[in-house]
This record gives sequence, C-alpha cells and structure tokens, in this order.
Amino acid sequence: MAHYHPSDELLMSFAAGQLPNALGIMTACHLQKCQQCSTKVGMYEELGAELIDSTQAISMGNNSLNNLLNRLDLEPTEAKTPEFTGDPRTPKPLRRFMPEYFDKLSWSGFSSSIKEYILPFSDEAYTAKFYKISAGKELPVHTHKGNEFTLVMEGSFSDNSGDYHSGDFILAGTQTIHQPKAAKDCDCICFAVVDAPLKMTGFFGRMLNPFL
Amino acid sequence: MLYVCDYSKLLFKIIRSDRLLGIFVADILQTSDAKYLEKLLLKIAVDRDRNAFMALFEQCSAKLKAYAVRCGASHSDAEEVVQEALLNVWHKAHTFNPKSASANTWLFTIVRNKRIDFVRKNRPDLVVSNDLWPESEASVVLETAPNLEYEYESDLNAQVLRTLIKELPEEQRQIVYKVYFEGKSHSEIATDLDLPLGTIKSRLRLAMKKLDTLAKQNISWLIIIHLMNF
Repeated sequence: MAHYHPSDELLMSFAAGQLPNALGIMTACHLQKCQQCSTKVGMYEELGAELIDSTQAISMGNNSLNNLLNRLDLEPTEAKTPEFTGDPRTPKPLRRFMPEYFDKLSWSGFSSSIKEYILPFSDEAYTAKFYKISAGKELPVHTHKGNEFTLVMEGSFSDNSGDYHSGDFILAGTQTIHQPKAAKDCDCICFAVVDAPLKMTGFFGRMLNPFL
Repeated sequence: MLYVCDYSKLLFKIIRSDRLLGIFVADILQTSDAKYLEKLLLKIAVDRDRNAFMALFEQCSAKLKAYAVRCGASHSDAEEVVQEALLNVWHKAHTFNPKSASANTWLFTIVRNKRIDFVRKNRPDLVVSNDLWPESEASVVLETAPNLEYEYESDLNAQVLRTLIKELPEEQRQIVYKVYFEGKSHSEIATDLDLPLGTIKSRLRLAMKKLDTLAKQNISWLIIIHLMNF
C-alpha cells in the first residue's frame, strides 16, 4: 500500500482529463496501486459530470442525430487495443511504452550503479524516464530547477526525508536537496517525470549531469 | 424503528440550521433526471433500444457539446467529439455499471476520453485515454437490468456535488471551471485573472476543502435520505 500520494489538485486535473502526458501516465500507475486515490478520482469525475450539468448547453446541428442513427449498426471504427503479450507484471498504463519488463529493458547509463531508460512519451513540458539505483547505492546529491515527480516501481529508497516503497508518489520541488539511496536488499527502480532538467550539485554530480 | 417518530422534527431542525442542507433537500427533486438517464442506458445495453438512444441524445448531447466547446474545441470538432462519444455509449452501454458510477459520471468519462483522443488519432507515440484509464475496457456484461430501487448512493453523491457547486463563491467556482475545462496550471490561471499565484492556490484549496467536508458528511446525509425514502 502506498504511503505517499499525489496532491488532490493533481488528482483533480487527472480526473478532468487535463493530464494526458507523462504526469498522467505516472498518476495512472499510482492509481493501480492505491485505492484511496482511485476513490478520490472517482469523486472528481462526479464533480466533472456535475460541472457539465451546470453549464449552458449548446445544441447539436440538425443532422447530427440522423448521422448518428445511421452509424449505429456499423462496426465500431475505433481501433481495437491489441492484446498485450508481454510480461503480466508490466503496469497497464505503461504497456504500450515498455518493450520488456524492467529486468530485460536495455538500460543505459554513465555509472554502473545508476542506469536510466528514457520513455517515449516525453514532450516539451515533461521528460519521463525510469532510473535504476543498484542495491545500497545512492544518486549524487542534487536539487531541481523545476519539479521532479517520482513513483517507486520496484524496491525502495530513502533520503533525508523518508523511506519510499513501491507505489509511493513523491514530489521534489526546487527547494529539495536530496540524495536518494536504494535499500541494501534489491535494486530500486523509479519512474521519474521532470518538468525541468536535474541540476547536480556535487563535483561528481556536475560530471554526471549530461548523462542523466 | 425507535427513532422514526422524532425524525421529522430532527430533519426540520437540521434544515433550519444548515442552509446547505436546505438547498440539498430541494435538489432531491432533480434526481429523476439522473434516474431517467440510467434507465435509458440500461435499455440501450440490454435491449439495444434505438428509441432509448434517441432520448439519450435529446437529454445530453447539447451539454456534452458545451463541454467540448468550453474545452476549446470548434463547434464542428465538438460535434464530432460528441458523436464519437455517443457511438461509444451505444457500443459500450453494457459496461455501464450503476453500482460504481452514476449515469452522468459515466457519460462524463466517455466524453472526456473522446476529447483527449480526438487530437491524437493515429499518433501511437502520444498518451491516449486507454493508457490513462485501462480498467474502463474491462466489461461487466449485464444480462438483465439490475434492480434500481436501492441504488441511490451515486445519486446522493451527485446531489452533494451539485449543492457544492451552487454554494461555492463565484471566485472559487471560476477556478474549478478553469481546471476542468481549460486545463490551466495555477500560474496560467493567475495570469488569466491577473491575480497573485498564492490567491489562486488558496481559493482552489478552499474549494477542495469544502468538497472534502461534503464527502465526509455524506454518511449522515445518507441516513437522512434513507429515512425520507422509507
């Protein structure tokens, strides 16, 4: 069970359908593991329905009902989602974007203890990647130019403000200076979404920065 | 039941002391709309009833179009989003489960998803609604219409929320609308309204806190509704 959750504002934007990007996928992954947040999203969806209900209606064109009735008996044009044949452990929101499960992904990275996998749905506002910290190792101390959203996918890590396990959703803002360290017993895999590039503060960090 | 004899007096007291609840009770009269929509959906699901579909169109297409337009779609794009959404309703009505969401909420999720996917046609690199809400594909096939008599819980939520929206001060409601329809970040809303970012954040916080309080009060209201329906 997750102990760290997205803010209510983020859940509301998700329910409103206003996060169709990396942050949306990350929120969806958290919801797969968090009943409490799923319930809240359900409530914000109800709120959305009520907002529509209290909005001034705009009539449809004259022919639209007839058009629709003519289309009812046609096969749905919507492309069927191809059946997923990969590893069943893959979180559903990521199934179109991960060719293999974490253990078989082609990780890349400068250091043997920190590896990354760039996800294909980054855009101008957010970059998305997985990173893997080897058991017992730590990331260089860093701050952020923007916000960094992290979702723990496997294993756990700790920093100066807490211990984080699978399903935990953490937001580090510009004020956060931290050094995440993976637990000793297994590698820690995180899903990270950054709205501005990481800024490494230590010497090693500066060297590492272009590769992260 | 022991407490029934006192209940009208109790209810009167509560209504007098709580303006919100007064409005809320008045709103109960509106539930017939939601029930009607629910029945239409079930008729479409179970009987493939085209008349029910036409009635559903009458009931909600103009509101769904207004939603798409408020989200920034042109009138013709909005019409297409609504047509796609209603076709989806026809094909997926069997997945509507009145126990997990009200008819209005289900329709909202469908039109929301169609709006997201409208601009993403044939772009597999982009996030689509099915990535964000993978569970909605899972279908619970209804063989017969479920008994609707005891399903007032989701209606109740809708009433609570309608009351909340009515009661929110305009300055807070405006921000909630912008979040839902315009997808604006807090700082964009601040620029739009020419207000400090802190003011936007605190107004949204206040609105959300009210929502939370109302959700918690649900339990006691449920009991009252139960008594009124007995």
